Amino acid sequence: MRIKDIINFLKQPKIFVFAIIWMMMLVVLGTLAQKDMGLYAAQNRYFSAWVIWFWFIPMPGGRLTLIIILINLSFFFFKKSIWKIKKLGIVILHLGGILLLVGGGLTAMFSSEGNMVIEESAQSNHVEDYHFMELAIINTSASSFDEFTIFDQPLLKRNQVLAHANLNFEIEIINYLENCEPTKRNSPAGIQHKGMLKKFMLSELKPEKEDNWNRPGMIYKISNSGTNADGMYGIFLGQPISQTVSVNNKDYTIILRRKRTYLPFSIELLDFKKILHPGTDIPKSYSSDINLIENGAVRKILIQMNEPLRHKGYTFFQSSFIEGPNSETTVLAVVKNYGRLFPYISSIIMCIGLLFHLSQKLPDLFRKSKEKIAV
Amino acid sequence: MLIKLIFSILILVFLQSCGQDNHIRTYQLAKTKAPVNKPRVETPEKNSTGFSWTKPGSWIASSGSSMRLASFDVPFSGGMGDLSVIQLGGTGGSIEANVNRWRRQLNLDSQSLFEIEKEMIDYKGGLGDYKIIRIINEELDSAFLCAILPAGNQTLFVKLSASPKGIREIETDFISFCSSLIISI
Repeated sequence: MRIKDIINFLKQPKIFVFAIIWMMMLVVLGTLAQKDMGLYAAQNRYFSAWVIWFWFIPMPGGRLTLIIILINLSFFFFKKSIWKIKKLGIVILHLGGILLLVGGGLTAMFSSEGNMVIEESAQSNHVEDYHFMELAIINTSASSFDEFTIFDQPLLKRNQVLAHANLNFEIEIINYLENCEPTKRNSPAGIQHKGMLKKFMLSELKPEKEDNWNRPGMIYKISNSGTNADGMYGIFLGQPISQTVSVNNKDYTIILRRKRTYLPFSIELLDFKKILHPGTDIPKSYSSDINLIENGAVRKILIQMNEPLRHKGYTFFQSSFIEGPNSETTVLAVVKNYGRLFPYISSIIMCIGLLFHLSQKLPDLFRKSKEKIAV
Repeated sequence: MLIKLIFSILILVFLQSCGQDNHIRTYQLAKTKAPVNKPRVETPEKNSTGFSWTKPGSWIASSGSSMRLASFDVPFSGGMGDLSVIQLGGTGGSIEANVNRWRRQLNLDSQSLFEIEKEMIDYKGGLGDYKIIRIINEELDSAFLCAILPAGNQTLFVKLSASPKGIREIETDFISFCSSLIISI
């Protein structure tokens, strides 16, 4: 009896109507907010959030609203009255809608995007995330390989202690700064300050509107090494000289960098081409001649604007470039999206549903119009 | 039955998302060979401005004004261009205000932000993403090539003043210079 009540409540079309209206409002609010707070922040606040706080009033965020819509659409199938051939079009239409939302969920949960930057005649096998950072501690002591211990962004927060069996020391994060700048010290540093902190401080800055304009930084303490490597260090994104420490005859390099995803293949940039409009300096198109290197096999491919490379679930778009004095560097936007095909498939299913529904309703409509004419 | 199934799927999805990553990863990579150093125009210059850059050998540092972080005389086939690097706090004013100030200096009418953004080209360099715009007055035989580089809570403005021909000749070096700008320590 109770379950029946729940089902009756959840399958109410009212829920869908209110949720879709609220979603439309969120789209408007998010679009307007994007101008002031930037795309990434607006996306997080309005669309990726479970709850949005309007002052002290909690309201459902985009993610929660879409889940409510998904549940409501799913419970539509509990209606006994829909399991008729007459309603088949509507059933197909709802299935298409559910598939669209499931695809969106897969994209939200598992998709990733970033940059691959390759200089001419160089190779790369990793993608750098646009937003997430990682602290890489690289043991460079072995002659043939480097051992990486990576701490992901969720661990990079104040008072967090980072430790791992690979490391002979612990790192305690004193402060993690979302945006910072190195500034010269006016007074001598304390004896506990090591590395760049001897001459510089990291000053916290207000986060930028666009997330990728920020320069994150971190003040951290190395302890329990049993050597004079113990002390306070500073690090920031793009630090030109990496911090190195030596503990028990092992050399470690510590880098704060954008989160890297290694690919099961490499890309070598053969040539970057910029074609100008005739007689002008205005670029008409950009393209990258690349070698896709996988298991020793080399395949030559051209990536150009609107013609990305799709390989093993990754899509490589020609995004930007850097012109150097001797060579050029291509910047490829790399996207991995498990839900990529869902919008296409669900749109086709919804079209079929609508056509089916229309074909069933057309005879009735013709009959009614004939009756009207007869009257 | 169906409810149980739906809830089981939801719980599985949540469990999967919780356990997919414990946020610590380890791996080994073969040591990368030291990159073959191609002959660069010049090694990065360190200075007291808080920024480093790589400039072409033909550029000559000049005195400029106190407002400037750096100034260079930039030779081209038809004469000498003047390049300035200015650092301002925050965004240093809007793009529209800055570009229209430069346009007025060349006796050109102001443009809307939409028109300005159409002409701006995005680049990526040591300081991150930045924008470059060409402002040319053929009648006066004068042109500016300007870059706006956000650098944390400051903005760098790099402006090259030369003839339209000079701008075209120097543009590649200008982009390389802007891309090479980094915060020095």
